[in-house]
Amino acid sequence: MTLQILLAISAILFAFGLTAVLSRSNAIMILIGIELMLGAANLNFLAFWRFSENPAALVGVLFAIFSIAIAAAEAAVGLAIIILVHRKARSVEVDDTNQLKG
Amino acid sequence: MITLLERAPIEIKTWFLNLLGSFGVPEWILAVLSAGIIIGTIIGVFLGLFALMSVMERKILARAQNRYGPNRVGPFGLFQPVADGIKMITKEDLVPRTADKIVHFLAPVTMMIPALMVLAILPYGRDMVPAELDSGILYFFAVGAGTEVAVFMAGWSSNNKYSVLGAMRAIAQMISYELPLVISAIVTAMIAGSLSPSAIVAAQGGFALGFVPQWFALTPWGFAAGLIFYIGALAESNRSPFDLPEGESELVAGHLTEYSGFKYATFFMAEYVGMFAVCGLFVTLFLGGWQAPLPFLEIIPSWCWFIGKICFVAFTMVWVRATLPRLRIDHMLGFAWKFLLPMSFAAFLSAACWHYAGRGPLAWLLSLAIVGIPYLILGTSFTKRFAVSRRTYRFSE
Amino acid sequence: MMCEFLKTCCTDPMKIIGEWLVLLPAIVLLLAAAASVVMRNLIHAALCLTLSFIALGIVFIALGAEFVGFVQLLVYVGAVAMILVFAILLTRPEQLTKSGTLFSGLGPAGGALAGFASLVVLLAFIFTSPVAKKPLPAPVSAPVAAIGEALMGDYVVALLLIGVLLTAALVGAAVLAMEDKKP
Repeated sequence: MTLQILLAISAILFAFGLTAVLSRSNAIMILIGIELMLGAANLNFLAFWRFSENPAALVGVLFAIFSIAIAAAEAAVGLAIIILVHRKARSVEVDDTNQLKG
Repeated sequence: MITLLERAPIEIKTWFLNLLGSFGVPEWILAVLSAGIIIGTIIGVFLGLFALMSVMERKILARAQNRYGPNRVGPFGLFQPVADGIKMITKEDLVPRTADKIVHFLAPVTMMIPALMVLAILPYGRDMVPAELDSGILYFFAVGAGTEVAVFMAGWSSNNKYSVLGAMRAIAQMISYELPLVISAIVTAMIAGSLSPSAIVAAQGGFALGFVPQWFALTPWGFAAGLIFYIGALAESNRSPFDLPEGESELVAGHLTEYSGFKYATFFMAEYVGMFAVCGLFVTLFLGGWQAPLPFLEIIPSWCWFIGKICFVAFTMVWVRATLPRLRIDHMLGFAWKFLLPMSFAAFLSAACWHYAGRGPLAWLLSLAIVGIPYLILGTSFTKRFAVSRRTYRFSE
Repeated sequence: MMCEFLKTCCTDPMKIIGEWLVLLPAIVLLLAAAASVVMRNLIHAALCLTLSFIALGIVFIALGAEFVGFVQLLVYVGAVAMILVFAILLTRPEQLTKSGTLFSGLGPAGGALAGFASLVVLLAFIFTSPVAKKPLPAPVSAPVAAIGEALMGDYVVALLLIGVLLTAALVGAAVLAMEDKKP
C-alpha cells in the first residue's frame, strides 16, 4: 500500500472518465464520465491526505467534502439542462444538437 | 442480581470466548467469533421480531377494524409466520420473459443488505453497541441510501410500466422525506454534541426534579423534531399512510409487481427490518435509548427497555396504519417539501435557542414559541384550500 | 513472496486485511467504472456507476476518512445516482436514435487513445516523481468533531459559499426542468 498505487488507481479511473467524455455520444454518458473524473480527483486528495505529515490539519478531507458537494450541484444542473434539451430537440445525443456549428 | 441480568448477554459471550481461548484458539479467530456472535444474535432477534410483527400487525389492524385477525394456526394465530414462510418458499418464482434477469435477481438482495447493516450502530443496552462509530447517525443514513437503489432496480428490471412508475414514485417519496428525517436527526446530534448514538443516549441521561426523564422527546423542539422524524420514518419504510408505492388498489404492487415467492418475502422482510431499524433510531435519538423512564424502574435490564420501546413504537406505527387513509402522491410530496422541511428548520432553530438561552424556563418558552408559531402558520395555510364550504343544494326546477 | 504472505496471514492477519481493505474495493471500482464506460444500455451503465460509487466510498472509509466515505455514499449513491437514473428514464433514449451511433465524432478509437495517452502521462509522473515516494504513516483518523470545528472555524467562508452555490443550483435546476406553463 504505497502512495504510488493509490495515485495509479486514481489515474486509471480518471482515464476511464476521460474516455467516456470524449467518445460517447449520449449526453448522460458524458456526465457519467465527468462524475468518474471527479471521483478520481477526490481519491487523489484523500490519498495525499493519508500520506501527509500533518493529517490532523484535515485539508485533504475538507477539500474532498467540498468537491463532493460541488459535484452534486453540477450533476443536478447538468441533468436539468439535458432534460431541457431533450424537450426541445427530442434527442440527447450531442451530435444532434449542433445548430451553432459554424 | 440486577447487574447480572443487565450484563447477561455480554457476560455469556465473554465466558464462551474465554472458554475457547483456554483451548488455544488464536486471538484473531476469537475476535472474528465475537463479531459473529453479536451479528448472529442481532439478526436472530430482529428476524424473530419480524415474524412476530407480521402476525401482530394483522391482528392489531383486525382488532381496530372490529374483527379477529389470523387465529387458525397455533394459539391465537401466533404460528402464522410459519405458514406464511412455507407459502412464500414453495411459491413458484416467476420472472417475466423480457425482464432484466441479473438486475431482477439482485434487487431483493440490494434491499436486504442495507436494512440489516443499519442495525449495527444502535445501542441495544448499556455498553452494548455492536459498532462504536464516531459518525453513527451518518452511517445510518448513508447505508439507508442503498434502499433507494434497490427500489429502482426492482421497478425497472421488471420491464413493466406500472413497476417503473411505482419505482419512480417510491424514490421521489424516499428522497423527499429523507431531508426532514436527516435534519431532525441532526437536531439531536447538535444538542448532544456528537454523531455517535451512544453519546446521544448518554446526553438524555439523568432525571430532572428527581423523577422526570430528560429524554429529547419531552422538550418542545424534541417533540417537534421527533414527530417529524416519526413521519419521515413512516415514509422511508413505505408504510401507510405513505404506502402509495405499494398500495394494491393503486398500482398493483408498484415496484414489487413482478416479484413472487421467496424474492417477495425478502422484500417484505427487508421492509419490516428497515421499519424496526428506523424505530430503533427513533428510540435512540428521542426516547432515551435503553434508559428507563423512572428511577425505580431501572431494575429492568437496559436491553429489555430498548426492545420494549421499539415494540411500542412499532405498535404505534401499526396504529397509524389502521387509522389514517393513504395520501395521494402530490399531497405526499407537497407535505414533505412545504410543511415538514420548514418545520424541521424551525425545530433546528428552536433547539439552538433552547441551548443558548441556558436551558432554563425562559429557554423552554422561547423554544416552544419558535416551534409553535411556524406550526400554526404553516398548518392553517394548507388547509384553507381544502376547507369545505357551505353546502348549496341545487334542484332542478 | 507467497511464503511471506502466508506467514503474515498466520501471525498478523490484520495487516493483510488492512491492505486488502483498500485494494479490493479499488479493483471493484476500476472494473465497475470500465463496465460503466463501455456499456450500451444506459441504465446498466448507471447501475455500474452506482457500484463504482459504492466501491469508492468503501475505499475512502478504508483510508481512514470515514466521514468523507459516508458522505460519498449518502450524496453520490443516494442522490446523484438517483437523479442520473431519473434523467435516463425521463429522456428515454429508445435504441440508438437518429444519429445512430453509440459513439460521438471522435469515435471509440479516438477516445480510447486520448484516455490512454493521459494515463501514460499521469503514470509517468506518478512513478518518477520523488513526491510520491513516501512510506506509509501510522493509521490516521478524521474525527467528526475535528471536521466540524475546521468547517466552522478556518473554512467557514468556504462553507457559506457552498451553501449559496447549492441553493443556486437547486433553484436553477428546478427552474430549468419545470414545464413551460401554457399561456
